[in-house]
Amino acid sequence: MVLCEGLAKTWKGGLAAVAPVDLAFAAGQTTALVGPSGCGKSTILRMIAGLELPSAGRVTIDGAPPAETLRVAGLSVAFQDPSLLPWRTVRGNIELALSLARRPVDRAAVDQLIALVGLDGFADVRPAELSGGMRQRAAIARALATEPRLLLLDEPFGAVDELTRQQLAQDLPRIWEARGTTTLLVTHSVTEAVMLSDRVIVLSPRPAQVLADIEIALPRPRLPDVARSPEFAVLVDDVFAALSRGAAMADRTLAAQ
Amino acid sequence: MTALGVGVARTQGATFLGLLIAALVWEGLARGLDGTYLLASPSQVVGYLIANAGLIGRALGATLSNALAGFVLGNLAALALAAVALVWPASQRIVTGVALVIFCLPLVATGPILRVMFGPGDGPQIVLAALAVYYTTLIPLLVGMRAAPASWFDLVRSYGRGPWAALGYIRLMASLPYLFAGLQIAAPAAILGAMVGEFTGAERGLGVLTVRAMRTLDVEMTWALASVATAVAVAAYLGIGALARAVLRDAPPMILAPPSGARQRSGVVGFLGVIAAILVLWAGSIAALNLNPFFAKGPLAVADAVLWAEDAAQTRASLGAALGQTARLLVPGYLAGLAAGAGLAIAFTLLPRVAGAAMPLAIALRSVPIVTTAPLIVLMLGRGASGTITLVAVMVFFPTLVACLHGLRQAPGQVIDVFDSYAASAAQRLIRVQIPAMLPAFFAAARMAVPAAVLAVTVVEWLATGIGIGTLMALSASVSDYDMLWAAVVLTAALSALGYAGVGWIEARVLRIYAPEQLA
Repeated sequence: MVLCEGLAKTWKGGLAAVAPVDLAFAAGQTTALVGPSGCGKSTILRMIAGLELPSAGRVTIDGAPPAETLRVAGLSVAFQDPSLLPWRTVRGNIELALSLARRPVDRAAVDQLIALVGLDGFADVRPAELSGGMRQRAAIARALATEPRLLLLDEPFGAVDELTRQQLAQDLPRIWEARGTTTLLVTHSVTEAVMLSDRVIVLSPRPAQVLADIEIALPRPRLPDVARSPEFAVLVDDVFAALSRGAAMADRTLAAQ
Repeated sequence: MTALGVGVARTQGATFLGLLIAALVWEGLARGLDGTYLLASPSQVVGYLIANAGLIGRALGATLSNALAGFVLGNLAALALAAVALVWPASQRIVTGVALVIFCLPLVATGPILRVMFGPGDGPQIVLAALAVYYTTLIPLLVGMRAAPASWFDLVRSYGRGPWAALGYIRLMASLPYLFAGLQIAAPAAILGAMVGEFTGAERGLGVLTVRAMRTLDVEMTWALASVATAVAVAAYLGIGALARAVLRDAPPMILAPPSGARQRSGVVGFLGVIAAILVLWAGSIAALNLNPFFAKGPLAVADAVLWAEDAAQTRASLGAALGQTARLLVPGYLAGLAAGAGLAIAFTLLPRVAGAAMPLAIALRSVPIVTTAPLIVLMLGRGASGTITLVAVMVFFPTLVACLHGLRQAPGQVIDVFDSYAASAAQRLIRVQIPAMLPAFFAAARMAVPAAVLAVTVVEWLATGIGIGTLMALSASVSDYDMLWAAVVLTAALSALGYAGVGWIEARVLRIYAPEQLA
């Protein structure tokens, strides 16, 4: 269970990135944070990961501050920029997570992860020789390697091609379910959010505030056909409607100024 | 063979071809000028080397062992200073500022002071070699330690690990290419430092023989010594390059000059901090080493000599006159070197085929410790102004040429495509895209060229010309006028560091317009 209470972030110089927000993410669920670019959703994710200190409010993970989870390497982040070390191979980058987490390296398990993200045959290749999408997939594999209780994904599929994305949308939720992972997905793709999540939280333009909290009660496993169902279309419309409300609000604020 | 391998092979082929042509031209010139006591031909040089293999071999051994010791010590010092700046970031400005001023010490005059401190032996040569190398390693290291995207450090933190894990997993590896780039420039510089130490009084070494050859006007010997010094310097440069390629997977970054302090906001406080740190270090080391005040002058003694002493006015007049003479050689040489380097680089872009062949040769020649060839230039152009100005210009020319050629290649391909799509002329493209893209590299080279030009002019003055601050230093050293010697050293180092900072100041203003990302 991840709790954000009155969480806010103001940058040096007074720019408010996140207005005080209250958020709760149930254990074992996948929640998507959706909002326009620059709305502060990545900042919320970074504060939950303990990489950024809140200006006000607090984050607790299972009742303790993020530092406790970090101490036992209980969370993983897949960053927007894949952040692979160029001198390590795909395998080396995945094993890096295990070394950093002070876990033994299980070669077979690493191979399974490489296969899961569709990088079979690329285990011993360096990032420079991979496409952008392949790098992001390697970064996702690295994030999964330590079997974290909490998985934080910051727009991890941006450069992944459409077909591979569909495949990942099938495979990743299966792993999260099997492991009971609590997943938090930051994205600005509405269909991706609906496809992957149990809940979609729509954020306003900066400073981020919650505009809508939409339950995605689609059955699992979700096959690609789900995207063509009327229920899916309704949910996508709901998210879009909330986003548009946010945009209109922002326009009014601008006009008032 | 990989694309990189082919490139390296082609580069080596071009370099070899270039050297061959240079040797043939040299031989032809020498034959043409036979009897003028200017030029010894390659065949004469080889003949001399074979006939005097024992003498040259012993001298080379002495020089190389001193250069190696200085190389190791100087680079260890650079590593230690980089570690201090990393562990305690607030100290970085002071560390780099003090390091710059020490780097700007005129090596020729530091030599005799070290000589009286160490007495006979190899101490001064080793220290001078160390002084010649530490700065060019320190600055790339400092850059390299930080040359990693913030998200890599976030990754380390997201697994609950701290600065030590970041150092072990990221910083060390990320800084390796920068370290090698620094070491590569340092290798010939160490040989230069050792030889300058030998110029100013030693028992053995190539520098000692060089001075002897100059005094006796032994043309063959002078050319043979300069050829040997050049060959070992280039070999050291290429050797480190080969080592880097063996260790690193990617080609080492092209570091033409350390980035300026422009990225740190310089201020009066930082400036005063650097000055205070230098004064404390200066006075402190004299006190700590318990040096004889007769030759070890502290800040107060130097201030007294130029400000309050009975003969202070006379000292100031001598210093001023000498500085004026030096400036008349230094400034034209410096500007000519910059103009020639940038001009030739620009001319080469209009002739891309020539540029492809010229680049490797220019890089190889950049590694030549030009100062060790000073006797040749004195031999050819005489002891007057033209010889000194030429030497300074040559010293500035090669690094500038290499930097500008590299900078011109940095012009963003997409922008060039835009120009091509409007069928813009080559001149348009050059003026609007390529020259602005060259400016950062040009200014970086211009900044690093300031201490190099000061080194060149002081060495020539010390060895040959009989005027200027270098000669004043040589005379003061020979008559044990340590007040004057220290005053000249301090003044030269201060002016050199100020010149460096001044070019950095202009650079920051130009980059703000043409390359704002470099100041981020």
